[in-house]
Amino acid sequence: MSEPTTTAPTEAGASAEPDFLKVSGLHAGYGQARVLQGLDFTVARGEVCAILGPNGAGKTTTMRALSGMVRGQGSVTLNGTELLGRSPEQAARLGVAHVPEGRGTFNDLTVEENLRVGAHVRTGRWRRGRAERAVVAADLERIYDYFPKLRDRSRQTAGSLSGGEQQMLAIGRALMLRPSLLLLDEPSLGLAPLVTRELFEIVRAVNEEERTTVVVVEQNAQLALDVAHRAHVLEAGRLVLSGPAAEIREDGQVAEVYLGVSVRAGKNG
Amino acid sequence: MRTILTTLGTGRARSLRAALTALLAAAVAVGAPFYFAPFQVFQLTMVLLYAVALAGLNLLVGFGGQISLGHGAFFAAGAYTAAVMLDRYDSAHLATLPVAAAGCFLLGLGFGVPALRLRGLYLALVTLSFAVFLPPLLKRLEPVTGGSMGLTVDKLQPPAWSGLAEDQWMYLVVLAVTAVALLLARNLLRSRVGRALLALRDDESAAEVMGVRLSLHKTLAFAWSAMFAGVAGCLYTWVIGFVSPDSFSFVLSITLLAGLVVGGLASLYGPLLGAAFVMYVPSVAQDVSDAAPGVVFGLLIIAVMFVAPTGLAGLAGRARDAATRRLTRTAPAAGRTPEPAPTTAPAADPAPADAEPVGAPPRTEKE
Repeated sequence: MSEPTTTAPTEAGASAEPDFLKVSGLHAGYGQARVLQGLDFTVARGEVCAILGPNGAGKTTTMRALSGMVRGQGSVTLNGTELLGRSPEQAARLGVAHVPEGRGTFNDLTVEENLRVGAHVRTGRWRRGRAERAVVAADLERIYDYFPKLRDRSRQTAGSLSGGEQQMLAIGRALMLRPSLLLLDEPSLGLAPLVTRELFEIVRAVNEEERTTVVVVEQNAQLALDVAHRAHVLEAGRLVLSGPAAEIREDGQVAEVYLGVSVRAGKNG
Repeated sequence: MRTILTTLGTGRARSLRAALTALLAAAVAVGAPFYFAPFQVFQLTMVLLYAVALAGLNLLVGFGGQISLGHGAFFAAGAYTAAVMLDRYDSAHLATLPVAAAGCFLLGLGFGVPALRLRGLYLALVTLSFAVFLPPLLKRLEPVTGGSMGLTVDKLQPPAWSGLAEDQWMYLVVLAVTAVALLLARNLLRSRVGRALLALRDDESAAEVMGVRLSLHKTLAFAWSAMFAGVAGCLYTWVIGFVSPDSFSFVLSITLLAGLVVGGLASLYGPLLGAAFVMYVPSVAQDVSDAAPGVVFGLLIIAVMFVAPTGLAGLAGRARDAATRRLTRTAPAAGRTPEPAPTTAPAADPAPADAEPVGAPPRTEKE
């Protein structure tokens, strides 16, 4: 299992491994409906990459194809390993942690149990024991340091948390997997702007401290571009624009055309 | 009042109370056969044995979110394994227990495979078919199973050194097995495997994305569950000393499921309450109306579902929550809630559904 902390600290966005995640000719869809019409992009190790675009552009489908939740054609390699054709569970074992749209927290389990499910693939049957338990306990502490609210509520059921706390839990649970690639699908869905900003600050902190590569799908382009190093704009299953986040943020006209929002004015879409 | 409540709520006090409760329960359970008449001891033994089967079913239905109308078949398989071993091979009683357990575990593993593809009503129908087809099969395999005449075998006999009567010894042995089984079920649920199972019930795709193997854990849930039913069946043979195909009709499967739902799904002590229901209610119903105990049984099930949708265990939990809420509410009463005189509310006031007991509202399957 690759350990994100062992990679040499490099300048954000200027990683030594520009092809850490390489997506080429990705087609995917549901039954007859072809959603993705051949995507090509790469994400460097340690980078935060935002995928933007209007509703129905295929953002969520891209994420699902990366984590194996939908079948795709083409090629997706993570650190040289082909991801397509694997089950979600196999993708998780390869270090892909997907925070699905709508959180998907286990509402009858407590906060801590949710987090422990996140460590599921790392606590195999034959590796149980004192050392393993200590590692998981340390990881729990690490998550609680990022999300102090979760520590206060560790024994509550996830169903009793607020929307923002559930989203924090979903992200924390994904981090328990010690992912090399973290997929965040619409983390701001249904949350207050202030809570969303707090979440993105934490995502930035996680990326900087753990060197975790992050791909984030977001409707709120302004916020996503503040945190991301690079951004790709999708429309009708195709990439229409790619570039450093700063450039896309500055290129107000382009953003307005493709995102339908005035990014410069700071209006949250 | 408040300080008392907070002191009672601390972790150490809670574990101390839990230990005391467990000790008290153990003392009562061990002392029971020396207090009650032999027939009552026999009934208690049957309650314990059903509790093992229900605990297994609870793993599958309550915690696994699947459904089985065929657990009577696993129960029968365990019972017949023990009976055949005792009848043909003169095995020691204790030797039959691990064989029945392992056999039913494997059987459950095999029957768990259709559970991967089917859910809800379809799974219920397929599992019901196991229960329906087993009794005729047992009748056909006459050389081994004794056909429709069944098999009469030795009951469990107390060793001479114990000085106990037969019913007392059987009760204590079954109590020990039940205690181990219930503890095993509890620990299983708190383990990595149990968490995976609960995660799958709550959100299948989110669990898979976290690396939980859907097929493995769903099949294992079936296998564990069948193993518990098989152990209960084995105990049944020890206690009754007679098995026949008619003892294990598909009605047994339905009674088990009904007992579990009445006792409380996804609750740790629901199986014990449900087992008492399965054991005592039919005989009480027989007293009320000789002609139709089934109708009375059914009406009682409906009544319980109506009054306590989370089962008897849920009812106890809700009553406790309502009581604590009243206590905590009366303490800082001044100026907080404008609610009209909560203290005058009757004690049996049904608590709002937000305060659920151990685990969850009953959910048998999701689509």
